[in-house]
Amino acid sequence: MIKTIAKPTERVTCGECRSC
Amino acid sequence: MRHVFSYRDKHYIYDTGSGALHACDEATARILRGEPADLPDAEREAVEADIEALRRAGLLDAPETDARPVKSHELKALCLHISHDCNLRCRYCFADEGAYHSVREVMSLETAKAAVDFLMRESGSRKVLEIDFFGGEPLMNFDVLKETVAYGKQEAAKRGKKILFTTTTNGLLLDDDAIAFLNEEMENVVLSLDGRKEVHDAVRKTVNGKGSFDAVIAHIKKFVRARGDKHYYVRGTFTAKNLDFAKDVLFLADSGFDSISLEPVVTDLADLAIREEHLPRIEAEYEALADEYIRREAEGKGFLFFHFSIDLEGGPCLQKRVSACGAGNEYLSVVPNGDLYPCHQFANDAPFRMGSVFEGTIDPVLREKFATSCLFTRKGCEDCFAKFLCSGGCSANNYHFMGDIDTPYPISCAMMKKRVECAMHVLAERKSREK
Repeated sequence: MIKTIAKPTERVTCGECRSC
Repeated sequence: MRHVFSYRDKHYIYDTGSGALHACDEATARILRGEPADLPDAEREAVEADIEALRRAGLLDAPETDARPVKSHELKALCLHISHDCNLRCRYCFADEGAYHSVREVMSLETAKAAVDFLMRESGSRKVLEIDFFGGEPLMNFDVLKETVAYGKQEAAKRGKKILFTTTTNGLLLDDDAIAFLNEEMENVVLSLDGRKEVHDAVRKTVNGKGSFDAVIAHIKKFVRARGDKHYYVRGTFTAKNLDFAKDVLFLADSGFDSISLEPVVTDLADLAIREEHLPRIEAEYEALADEYIRREAEGKGFLFFHFSIDLEGGPCLQKRVSACGAGNEYLSVVPNGDLYPCHQFANDAPFRMGSVFEGTIDPVLREKFATSCLFTRKGCEDCFAKFLCSGGCSANNYHFMGDIDTPYPISCAMMKKRVECAMHVLAERKSREK
């Protein structure tokens, strides 16, 4: 039996996220 | 690529192409690994039907991107080495106890303002920028730090931009004024504390050779109490001397800190360096920490350990995953005289000097070298399940240990992979409780 734990909402885009 | 792994009696499948995480039973894990599994025909058919359904849904054996990152030459972040001096003499310091293999000095306000102007000019259309105050100990140059923040905010506002400020401090100079200012102006504050007193004091000593723990922890506790819900990390280092580092993480949690990071040391000091023979112990320690982390979270007494925090549902876009930290291209370090380097770990390393904020240009050859370095140029990453969660390791570590920014350091890789597996298990347990 296989149960999905997590999957991305959507997976190439903006530079707003933090830069280490 | 599918990564099938076990954690205690739990079994998981991580699909690198889709980024999906699944849980399964032992027999399914064996089938997915291509190992013999003693199953009745009907059960085997059910497992194979499950696998096929996931494939059709694009959640198993999904194709992986080979999209190269778009090479933006718009600067995003500067690390301002506002002080190349320090009031501690930590044995493992990569920055040569603050001096960066040069003279002890602090950055002038003129240079700091020139760096802000440089960031404004080189950031092009970017609206969200970052300046990190770093050292040495940044609070040894607190007046310049404060004036740089004011100048940065003023210049950014003129252009419809915003600067997110961060400070990394050892906490020794965190008085009431510094606490109030950092809490008001900093988007994030990183506070250095290694854990238990005997662990911290063994390596983090004052200029006079005394342990710094008692002074530092009092200041950091006061800071965190005033921090409210803003970002901070109490960030420590573990070495070969404290491979039982889970005790240090838990000590920090028990001290009232709820946002904690503890990192393996990067040093060539023989008695402190992490070596290959330490890895089994370190991996077991991460598992022990994960077990306790889950237990505390289930009891409503959880805290955030940076490496057990993972976002598999709303994580960064592929562009970010393949281009990694941006050092040498989107992110540069500025040392006190205004010279530019790819990042703080390359500071004052002459072959990596990329120009100066006063010259106003960035070495095009070095910039191209770093801009084209990405997950797909890293050697050995193509077969690694963690590649889209790691982006190919730290360029500086790769260079300092392997002589090449594109050759990952195997010991760092091993620890990263173990932490990712622990983080996935923590996530699965949390989801299980929520249901």
